[in-house]
Amino acid sequence: MEKVSPFSAQSLNRTIWTIFFILIGIALVIVAYPYFKMVIVLFVISWIISVILNPMVDYLESVGLNRAIAIFLIMFLIITLIAGSVALIVPAAMRAIDAITVKLQSDFLKDITLQLEKLFEEKFNNAGLARDLIAKLIELGSGLLNNMGGLLKNASSFVAFLGIIPFVTFFLIKDRRLIYHSFIAQIPNKYFELSLNVLHKVGDQVTKYIQGQAIDALIVGLLSALGLFIVNLFFGHPIPYFFFIGMIAGIANLIPYLGPIVGAVPAITLTILNAPPNVGTIILWIVVVFALVQAIDNNIVSPMVVSKSVNMHPITVVIAVILGGNIAGVIGMLVAVPVWGIIKVTVKEISWGVKHYKLK
Amino acid sequence: MDNKIESVKMSNPIWENIFKRRHAVSESVLQNLKNVPIFADLTEKELLEVEKIVHRRKYKKGEPVFRMGDPGLGMYIIVEGSVDIVEEYENEESKLLATLEDGAFFGDLALLDEAPRSASAIAKVDCDIIGFFRPDLMDLLYRKPQLGIKILFALARVVGERLRRTNELLSELQRKYEAQ
Repeated sequence: MEKVSPFSAQSLNRTIWTIFFILIGIALVIVAYPYFKMVIVLFVISWIISVILNPMVDYLESVGLNRAIAIFLIMFLIITLIAGSVALIVPAAMRAIDAITVKLQSDFLKDITLQLEKLFEEKFNNAGLARDLIAKLIELGSGLLNNMGGLLKNASSFVAFLGIIPFVTFFLIKDRRLIYHSFIAQIPNKYFELSLNVLHKVGDQVTKYIQGQAIDALIVGLLSALGLFIVNLFFGHPIPYFFFIGMIAGIANLIPYLGPIVGAVPAITLTILNAPPNVGTIILWIVVVFALVQAIDNNIVSPMVVSKSVNMHPITVVIAVILGGNIAGVIGMLVAVPVWGIIKVTVKEISWGVKHYKLK
Repeated sequence: MDNKIESVKMSNPIWENIFKRRHAVSESVLQNLKNVPIFADLTEKELLEVEKIVHRRKYKKGEPVFRMGDPGLGMYIIVEGSVDIVEEYENEESKLLATLEDGAFFGDLALLDEAPRSASAIAKVDCDIIGFFRPDLMDLLYRKPQLGIKILFALARVVGERLRRTNELLSELQRKYEAQ
């Protein structure tokens, strides 16, 4: 076969065309993204759920159950569990939001404003600055709470969206091999073994990572809830909705470094709003609970259940989370690190494949 | 492929079709699978399960199915056509180890590990080939353990038979060497 020098005109021409087509591809994705955003989010969520549920389906199939029936049984069980949890959590969340909103609009806030004005008057001789600062904070807080309340109250489109997810997930699990075979069939012979090998390795690592993250989130959630429950037992129940907060901490744990803060903030806020007598000590214990859960997670749970193949630098995590937030809001922030991990593993395995397979 | 293929007469139990079962060409994947010793003990229902996970590919004359040194991934069964098994070295003439015809299978050792392929497989004419790969076998072992074990046991028999032949060949060569 005639070898093409990497510096020849032919090679340069090919490189320019490749870059051109990549740029066109990126432009098309950017233009089409707003129209397909919901579909993409729907498929990504369904795919992640299918990856988490697949081992359970495989297990039931291995003991002799028909695959479709196994999927149906597991999904029925999960949907019942989620529906039950939602029935408990949503009213609790709405009550929590309403309680915070009422507190913000009550004398509680006026008291804080007065105290701050006094403090600013004494220290900086400028009470107006405190008033401006509080006004800005109220504006920000109210906006945030209205958005959250709106999100939960605008349930009809959300339920419709949720209704499609089990349907898509069912077929993603049932026809997993068919989808994979149809995709592989389109790949030219030259890249066939390479693609099969890389796809398998990426799939394997991504599956282990997602399943590990799901188990990790569940354990962190339960540990946080347990920790807050113990604090509640000792201090006369100052933290309302502790189980709900624990579960939020578990899900937020998907975002490394920022997750624990997201978990601790609602617990501390609700405790302050409840204004129990020894608030300082309770806050200290809440911080201890989340620090302890993090220590257990980082040293015991995470090394056991989460794959090391997608380890990443803290700066990369922050950049990924910001990008994810810009692209798809809160869901984008949650899936940013896993998606970045998938990209990292894919690039690593493709470069392994290109190095080991004779493609010329 | 530019290198001229040099034919060698010595037997190669790893690559040759030592099972010598030649069958009439069948378009059916099921029939072709049944003719391969690795799947010979499977029931019709089990063969249907295997049929779902194999890949059917068409190769043009001269097109490599895999190259020597590539990471091993799985085995191939020739439905129609013929495949040259060739040792390729840089700046050397290629050595033909075997030519496999319809119904023959090759690359079965790659079902066990990712060790580099010890030879290249090049389509001698336009070929219709079935591929069965390690990740799919692993998946089958997890989902249908009884079926997976049947396949693994048959694979062990095939590998054992190749080893036995290699051993016989080695003994014969040793005897010849000592007689000289």
